[in-house]
Amino acid sequence: MKHQAKDIINEGPWKFTTTVPVVGLDIGSRGSKGVLLDGDEVTTVLLPTGLYMQETADELLTKLLQTSGLERSDIQAVVGTGYGRISLNYDDIPYRVVTEISCHAMGAHAIIPKTRTIIDIGGQDSKAIKVDTATGKVVEFVMNDKCAAGTGRFLEKAAAILGIDLRELGEVALKSKKPAQVSSQCAVFAESEVISLRARGARENLEEISADIAAGVHYSTARRVHNLLGRIGIEPEIVFTGGVSNNVGMWKVLEEEIGARFTPAKLDLIFAGALGAAVHAWKFFASTHEVKNTKKTKKKVAKHDVREEVRFPNGD
Amino acid sequence: MATKVQKTKKQPAKLDLKGFAKLIDDEQQSLVDAKDVKKVGYICNYTPVELLSAAGVRHSRLIKAGSAKTVSAGELYTQSVFCDFTKSCIGFFQQDDPFYKSFDKVYNFHTCSTMKRASEVIEQFVPTTLLNLPKLRSSEDARNFFREEIVNFKNDLGELTGKPVDDDEVQRQITIYNRARSILKEISELRKKPNPVLTGAEFLDLVRGYYYLPGEKLVTALEQVQSHLEDAPKRSGRPLRLMISGSIMADGDRRLLDILEGELGARVVIEDHCAGVRPFYHSVSEAGDPYRALANGYLDQAPCARMKPLEDGIAFSGKLAREYAVDGVVYVFLKFCACYGVSKKEFLTEFQKQNLPVLELSSDYSESDYGQLKTRIEAFVEVLKERGEVTSHEQHINA
Repeated sequence: MKHQAKDIINEGPWKFTTTVPVVGLDIGSRGSKGVLLDGDEVTTVLLPTGLYMQETADELLTKLLQTSGLERSDIQAVVGTGYGRISLNYDDIPYRVVTEISCHAMGAHAIIPKTRTIIDIGGQDSKAIKVDTATGKVVEFVMNDKCAAGTGRFLEKAAAILGIDLRELGEVALKSKKPAQVSSQCAVFAESEVISLRARGARENLEEISADIAAGVHYSTARRVHNLLGRIGIEPEIVFTGGVSNNVGMWKVLEEEIGARFTPAKLDLIFAGALGAAVHAWKFFASTHEVKNTKKTKKKVAKHDVREEVRFPNGD
Repeated sequence: MATKVQKTKKQPAKLDLKGFAKLIDDEQQSLVDAKDVKKVGYICNYTPVELLSAAGVRHSRLIKAGSAKTVSAGELYTQSVFCDFTKSCIGFFQQDDPFYKSFDKVYNFHTCSTMKRASEVIEQFVPTTLLNLPKLRSSEDARNFFREEIVNFKNDLGELTGKPVDDDEVQRQITIYNRARSILKEISELRKKPNPVLTGAEFLDLVRGYYYLPGEKLVTALEQVQSHLEDAPKRSGRPLRLMISGSIMADGDRRLLDILEGELGARVVIEDHCAGVRPFYHSVSEAGDPYRALANGYLDQAPCARMKPLEDGIAFSGKLAREYAVDGVVYVFLKFCACYGVSKKEFLTEFQKQNLPVLELSSDYSESDYGQLKTRIEAFVEVLKERGEVTSHEQHINA
């Protein structure tokens, strides 16, 4: 989809007008997202992540080029993020890797400039990020333990057991009047908990019990995510990003759990990471091409020589 | 026996620790082969190695991190909620590891409940004695009690070898180990310079010597390394400086260091855990009753989080962070660790007071979570790097 930057920003001027086209690719565990920035135009593409990350990335890039009407050779920089970021490789375009934490912060900051707290729930992990409102940089972050509880994967599992389409799980949960207690810490055990809840309810009203279980699963996830926020605090404006942010049930339950409202965005925030990656790609291009910034980069290289060497193994 | 020598991908200095690693390999092999001597394994850092040396036994700390296979061998005897270090200790015995199998006896101190249970399991494989370690490190009664426990330990060793432990020899070993500890501390302190002459991985390579080499051999080897390091040319620049704080980074548990130093080019300049500098920040008095001196000296070492008051450990950690001028702290504990997993909040608060960003990781010895670990570490390094840029930018404006 093609957007005008002014249409997707909440307030204030768009800070990232580019002079050349740049791309951000967010190769997630479940879905892959691509954002192309060209002048004041923002193109977005979403695909399911395939088995081969590079193929998924190539497909994203092709779709972005088709939608925006550009050629591959027009792209001046690509930043990759998400789980697949390290498997990507480009010979013809300057490529850089930035973690999804920095990308989500920058992406949310780009369209909601006052973003201070981010909750990101993705397919395989969830994180809470504290953002510097002036720059969009990460001040502090906390990620879930390496475990599926409190992530999109958990909701996906629950949807499968209940025989509900994942996209409808949130809607179903909202119908519940008496959310079931899903207490398990572990997604695998929670699965059996859900199965036994379902077995108990099957004799009664299946639709009602499904809604109650769906709601229970949402509350259980929300509690896990709320715990993450403990360390970094909850300061407005709070933005909900990642694939699970599209789930209306999760949105409501999380707001209730943390006792605060999320700031709605004008762009689907599943793209926050890819948009942030594109902004980083633009910054990356600008820092290596503008005279003023080149100096700064050189200084930076001298200061963090070892790290820069690692990032640019070809001596870029 | 083969011990993996870990190499970081970027190794700016020509510090060659291959010889040092070979010394350890040879020592381990010779311990396995030795026939005419008793061999003792110990697990906890509160074990006075001076007594083991004075008793004339070959000794080594049981500190290896096991593979996923070893860990699951250990899990045959434990619940799943035991840490992977405990499971490794048991697992190596279960798997008939030639090094672990060669010990005549194992000594362990009652630190955490998990480790206590582990010694009870290990007893099924090899005679094991569990000794008591008081928690209240500054109480006079605790110190008297610990002295008695150390004398019991000495007597037990005498029974094992059939020859009472000689007090003068204990005294002599105290001097040797004091020397070893002080060299390791001095080497560690070389890392206070902006660009340290040795990496965190290299420092841990040296620390292995403390657990695997006999005292005198250790001192000679360390002296050589020290003089080499002191002559090393000064390095310019300042890499990102990090502290690792937490429970234990067992021998072979190098995934974090591989990512931090090998892949991201940061430097671990100080490690506050029980396979790091903790035992080297104390010495044992060389005057008076040697057993009282050992009791005091060992209780005075930088404390394990199971000791009381907890504030002592936090204060030590905070002091190291300041002295070594670190940019951030990686607080890492083994998953299910009831000591470090629960006292984390107090530690994190101390670092946050110092305005130091902290990355909290719970770890195990599985090999499949590389990507998840890397995402967290890489993002942390990004955040620190950006803070660094802000600082240098501000300095630029002021100048």
